[in-house]
Amino acid sequence: MKHRVALKAAALAVGVLTVGALAGCTTSGGEASDVVRVTLANHVWTDLIKEKIPEFEEQTGLTVELTQLGEDQLSDQYNVKLNAGTDEIDVMMYRPLQEGKLFAQNGYLAELDDRIDAASDWDWSDFQAGPAEATTYEDTVVGVPLVTESEVLYYRTDLLEQAGLEVPTTLAELENAAKLVSEANPGVAGFIARTGRSAAVTQFSSYLFSFGGDFSEQGTAAVNSPEAVEAYEYYGGMIHKYGPQNVSTDMNWAEASAIFAQGQAAFYTDASSLYQNLALPENSTVSDKLGYAPFPEGPAGSKPYSIPAWALGLNSGSGNQDNGWKFIEWATSFDTVLATQEAGVPGARTSVWDDPAGTSSFPAALAAAIQANAQNGVGYDRPLVVNVAEAREIVGDPIVVGITGGDVPAAAETAEQKFQAFLDDENQ
Amino acid sequence: MTTKSLTIAGAPRRRKFPWPTFGRAVGLTAVVVTFVAPLAWMLLASFKTNVDIYDSSKMFAFLPTLDNYGTVFGQANYGAYIWNSFFVAFVATVLSLVLAVPAAYSMSRFVMGRSAMVVLLARIIPGVSLLVPWYFVFSQMRLVGSFAVLILSMMFVSLPLILYIMMSYFDSMPEELEEAAQVDGLTPIGAFLRITLPLSMPGVATAGILSFIFAWNNFMFALVLSGASTKTLPVAIFDFVGYASIDWGGLMAAAVIVTLPIMVIALFTQKYIVSGLTAGATKG
Repeated sequence: MKHRVALKAAALAVGVLTVGALAGCTTSGGEASDVVRVTLANHVWTDLIKEKIPEFEEQTGLTVELTQLGEDQLSDQYNVKLNAGTDEIDVMMYRPLQEGKLFAQNGYLAELDDRIDAASDWDWSDFQAGPAEATTYEDTVVGVPLVTESEVLYYRTDLLEQAGLEVPTTLAELENAAKLVSEANPGVAGFIARTGRSAAVTQFSSYLFSFGGDFSEQGTAAVNSPEAVEAYEYYGGMIHKYGPQNVSTDMNWAEASAIFAQGQAAFYTDASSLYQNLALPENSTVSDKLGYAPFPEGPAGSKPYSIPAWALGLNSGSGNQDNGWKFIEWATSFDTVLATQEAGVPGARTSVWDDPAGTSSFPAALAAAIQANAQNGVGYDRPLVVNVAEAREIVGDPIVVGITGGDVPAAAETAEQKFQAFLDDENQ
Repeated sequence: MTTKSLTIAGAPRRRKFPWPTFGRAVGLTAVVVTFVAPLAWMLLASFKTNVDIYDSSKMFAFLPTLDNYGTVFGQANYGAYIWNSFFVAFVATVLSLVLAVPAAYSMSRFVMGRSAMVVLLARIIPGVSLLVPWYFVFSQMRLVGSFAVLILSMMFVSLPLILYIMMSYFDSMPEELEEAAQVDGLTPIGAFLRITLPLSMPGVATAGILSFIFAWNNFMFALVLSGASTKTLPVAIFDFVGYASIDWGGLMAAAVIVTLPIMVIALFTQKYIVSGLTAGATKG
C-alpha cells in the first residue's frame, strides 16, 4: 500500500514537473492578437498565397501563423479541435460541400453578414452565384468561396483526328466516339472516369443532372427515378464497355487521371482543377495531345457541377475574428484572386473571369469550357446533407454495380431505400 | 575389396528429395517477396519522376533522379521534422523508462495485480477516443503545439508497454539474487539498483527500442497535438498529398526517410525486439 501511494505521488510529481518545465515554450491564443492563426489545406492556392503573405503582413502589421495539412488530415483535425471549442484557429480553409453544412449546423463558422455589409469595396456580389450559395447557410453567409471547379471533358486530340471524329457535344456522341476509338486502338480504353464508390459520386453528379435526375427532391430520395437509373447505367456502362480491362472499382482521381496521363484512354471526365496532372509534361505523356471540352449535353442539357471546392471561414470560437476577417478580405480581394488565377487557380470572382488577364494562364479551350460550365452549372456535386461521407457511400453503390455489369435498376432501388432512411434519420 | 567398397560408395543411392527444406524455402521466399515488394517499390519510386512512377514498363529500367530527395530536404525542410520526431521519441522513451522500470519492479516484486490492470487499461482504450478530451484539456493549459504535450501523449502509449515488458522480465529473475545482496548489506533499493537493474539491461533495451519505434511512428496524436514548428515526420509526409495533385516521387522519398531509421534499428536490434514481443508468451 505504502509503495503504491509513493509510486503514484512520484508519477504525479514527474508529470507536473515535465508539464511545468515545458509549458513556457508555447504560443498563447484566445483574445484579440496581432497574430492571425490560419489553417490551410495542401493546395496550389496555398502555395501561391504563402508567397504573398509577407505583402499582407506589411500592409496590416499583423503576423500570420500558418498551419498546412492534407485535406483528410485537415478534416480530422477540425473534427477534434472545433468539437472541443478551440480558440486556437482564427481562419479556416474548408470544403463547403463536404463539411460546410455540418460546421454551420454545429455553429463552428462565424456569421459574416455584418462584415460583408461593411466591406462594400470588397464586393460580395462579385462572387459567382453557385459558389456563393454553397457558403451560405440558412440565409447567412458563413464562408467566402476560394477555389472553384467544374467537370470538363478531357480528350486525346490525336486519337480523335485519327478516327475522323468531331469533339463530342452530347453524351450519345461521347459514347459513340468512345466505342469507335477503343475498337480502332486495341489496348487503349475509350473512356475512363473515377470508379470508387464514394470517389465517383461527385463526377457522376454531372451525368445525373444532365439526364434530368438529382440525388433528392425536396427532402425525398430520388436515386431510383428513371432519369437517375439511366444516368447510372450510362456512367457505369461507359466504363464497363469501353473502360480498361479488369478495371478496379476503387479508383479516385489519382488513379483515373494516371490512366489517361499514361496514354491509355481516349476520353476522361473529371474536375477542371486536375488539368495540371494531364497538361504538364512532368506528369503526363499526353500533354501535347490534350484537348478540353465543356461537359457534353444529356437529355436535359449540359448540367455539370460548378462548385466552390474550397472556402475560407472564421472560427466562431476565435477571439481574434476582426483580424481573421482582414486576412479573408485580403485573400479574396480582386487583386489577390486575379494574381492566384493568373497562376492557374480558378477563383470565384466574376470580374476576374471577365478580365482577360484572369484567363490568360489557362489553355484557351479549358478556359472556354470552364466558363461554359459556369453558365449551365449546378452548385453542388454531392448530396446536400450533414453526413456527406455516409450519403456518398449509399448513392455511389449503383455506380459500382454498373461498372461491374450488374443489375443497375435493382441496385438503384436498394440505394433509394437506404438513402431515404438516411434522410429520414438526418431530418429527425 | 576396394572395387566392392567403391561400388557401394558410388552406388546411385536414391536420396529422398528434401521436400520439407524445399517447402520451407518456397514459403520463406513467398513471405519475403510479399513483404519486401512494397518497400522495394517505394525505394525505386523515390528515384523516379511522376510520369515514370505510373509507367509499368519503367518498373526497373528508368533514368534515376535525386530531385525527390532534393525536394524533401530543400523545399519541404525535412531536417526540422526529423529532429522533431527524434526529439519527441527519444525524450518520451527516456522519461517512460525512468518511470516505468521502477514501477514494473515494484509491481512484479510486490504482486500488484490490480495496479497493473489499471495501467493496462491505457492500452485497451482506443487512443482516438481520448483525443477530444485531451485536446480540450491541453488547449486550456495552452500546451497544444508544444513538445511537452507530444511527449506526454507518446508516454501514454510507451509507459504501459515498457511496464509490461519489464514486469515479465523481473518476474523471470530469481529473487534469491536480491536476497543475497541484502544479506551482504544492501538496502532493497540498493539491491535493485546494483544487482537487478544491471542484470535486466537487455530487457530495458528491448522496451526502450519498441517504445522509440512506437513514438517515431505515431501519427494520430501528433496530427492533432503538434503545431507548425513541432510537426513530426508521419504528419509531415502528408504535405506531399495535395488537393488535385499528389507528388508521388516526393512522397516516396519522404517515406524512405521515415522508414530507414526504423529499419536500421530493427535490423541491428532484432534479437531484443523479438524477445520483447514474445516476453511472457511462454509462461504457463
